[in-house]
Amino acid sequence: MFRHTPLRIATLVLLGAAAILYGLNAEYFGLEILTEIAILAILVIALDMVAGFGGMVSLFHGALMGIGAYGFTLLATKAGVAPLPAMIGAMALGGVVGWIVGAICARTHGIYFIMATLAFGQMAYSYIFESSFFGGDDGLSGAPRLDLSGLGIDLNDSRGFAFFALALLLAAYLAAVAILRSGLGRSVTGILHSEQRMRALGLNVWRVKAAIFGLSGVLAGLAGTLAAQHIMYVSPGLLAWTVSGEALVVVILGGLGTLVGPVVGAAFFVLLKHEVSAHTTHWHLVVGVILIAVVMSRANGIFGWLEARVARWQGRTHAAKTGNLALEGDSDA
Amino acid sequence: MLETRNLDKRFGAIHVTRDVSLKLEKGERRVILGPNGAGKTTLFNQLVGELSSDSGSIHLDGEDVTGLSVAKRARRGLSRSYQKNTLFDGLTIAENLGLAASVAQGHATSLLRDSLSRSEVRETVAEVAAQVDLAPVLDALVSEVSYGIRRQLEVGVALATRPKVILMDEPTSGVGPEMAHGFHKMLNDLPRDLTLLIIEHDMDLAFDVADTITVLNYGEVVFDGLPEAARNSAMLKEIYLGSWEDA
Ligand SMILES: Nc1ncnc2c1ncn2[C@@H]1O[C@H](COP(=O)(O)OP(=O)(O)OP(=O)(O)O)[C@@H](O)[C@H]1O
Ligand SMILES: [Mg+2]
Repeated sequence: MFRHTPLRIATLVLLGAAAILYGLNAEYFGLEILTEIAILAILVIALDMVAGFGGMVSLFHGALMGIGAYGFTLLATKAGVAPLPAMIGAMALGGVVGWIVGAICARTHGIYFIMATLAFGQMAYSYIFESSFFGGDDGLSGAPRLDLSGLGIDLNDSRGFAFFALALLLAAYLAAVAILRSGLGRSVTGILHSEQRMRALGLNVWRVKAAIFGLSGVLAGLAGTLAAQHIMYVSPGLLAWTVSGEALVVVILGGLGTLVGPVVGAAFFVLLKHEVSAHTTHWHLVVGVILIAVVMSRANGIFGWLEARVARWQGRTHAAKTGNLALEGDSDA
Repeated sequence: MLETRNLDKRFGAIHVTRDVSLKLEKGERRVILGPNGAGKTTLFNQLVGELSSDSGSIHLDGEDVTGLSVAKRARRGLSRSYQKNTLFDGLTIAENLGLAASVAQGHATSLLRDSLSRSEVRETVAEVAAQVDLAPVLDALVSEVSYGIRRQLEVGVALATRPKVILMDEPTSGVGPEMAHGFHKMLNDLPRDLTLLIIEHDMDLAFDVADTITVLNYGEVVFDGLPEAARNSAMLKEIYLGSWEDA
């Protein structure tokens, strides 16, 4: 189950304010970065729902995003569907594929679950890579952007598109919170703590896992429709397992099972990538060192570390206020 | 209410339960006694479906449930508690009970609402908390409470599905004789139509709650009868002498 703590709300407000200020003032390149952050943040929110809250570490989420991107592009170009229904259709496709893969993988655990999702991801990747219908390794171009000119918003302008992506990020975040706080979300948490007990209580564990994986697939699909509209081109590289791996790195870097952490992680990761790669081509090396440092510190990512610090500090001030510190000192003496 | 016919289970060369036939009437309180490794927990695992049986059948309230999954048997009213605590550790006592109640009441897959805020779930949580003396600690995290309270919660979670039959695997293990008697008093206060099958290590404690007693030795039922007969049985004294004196 997900809870909004004051720290989480404060972090979200800060992030939101920073994004809006940046979005209003940035030039083209900055707006591209902002959009990239928003899309990655949606993907890692989707991944955190299953990996952080459900203990299902997936290497299929890159493929889910790719399926959303290809689904959108195909619907909007070859099938001639308008962009908005194409987006909805692509998200539904992400949901259906996510549900099926989740349902099949639900019986495995730990490393086997990871391997099963990796296998499905690789299957999707090579199928699209080799199929001429999907444009093979050339990919597909011509994905249109949604037309919001009726609302006075020009999505062909990079500022307009960056704010559009941010608005969808907010929607995705709120959707994830609502899902995690529902009866289904409670059950996902229960399964994480004790799958055996949930089953003994009468829960159809398989159904819950498939459902949360499918819902996560809808959000990953949404990230894909945005990625397709952003660069107006899709290629099999979107489905590569390294995309899933990178998303997992971001979730772990930010803080598994905190929802806010992965969003922080996405911003950190994209900014770091652009900062470091401006100076050296070895930016993966830098990310690697940081990831190792975070994992070795045994904190739950950057945000988890912050939460632990704040909790300790709160504990101390609470103790000081109620005089417990003095009492403890007395009893020690 | 619960009946087994000729249940068998082998692990490789070890024959762990042999030809076990039991019959519990509705509302019956039966205690299963037996030394370490007698196959008591294995029998429970077979009953709830966590282990498949090599042969024999299991009947719940007149229905053959032998081929059903764990979850389906649970939904038909079979509940259990574990010898080794199997709780939702990062959650509060209320959330533990609430999860159990929401699964049983069919709210566990709802997307529209938080299952634990539903009034019927909260009612069940409050009722069960009163039954197993957990009302004062409902908001505490499982990781914050004592071992004895966790043992109470272990039974509470099993109760919160409002089952017809509960299998309790050594509910008092590790809590000391004084607390164990209190625990049995608590069990005696449960509604009389609830059928209980309780594994108990200590024969003296068994007399607190037992209407009937079954003794398992090397996987076989060696005694099935009333507590008075068990108390006076020379055979049981012999089986039990070793492990009893130790315990
Ligand atoms: N999964 C398993 N694989 C192999 N052997 C097992 C397995 N589970 C139990 N056993 C063996 O079966 C026998 C019965 O074990 P079981 O746990 O049912 O005994 P028990 O009567 O509950 O004992 P205790 O009083 O110690 O809880 C033991 O010899 C045990 O080692
Ligand atoms: Mg046992």
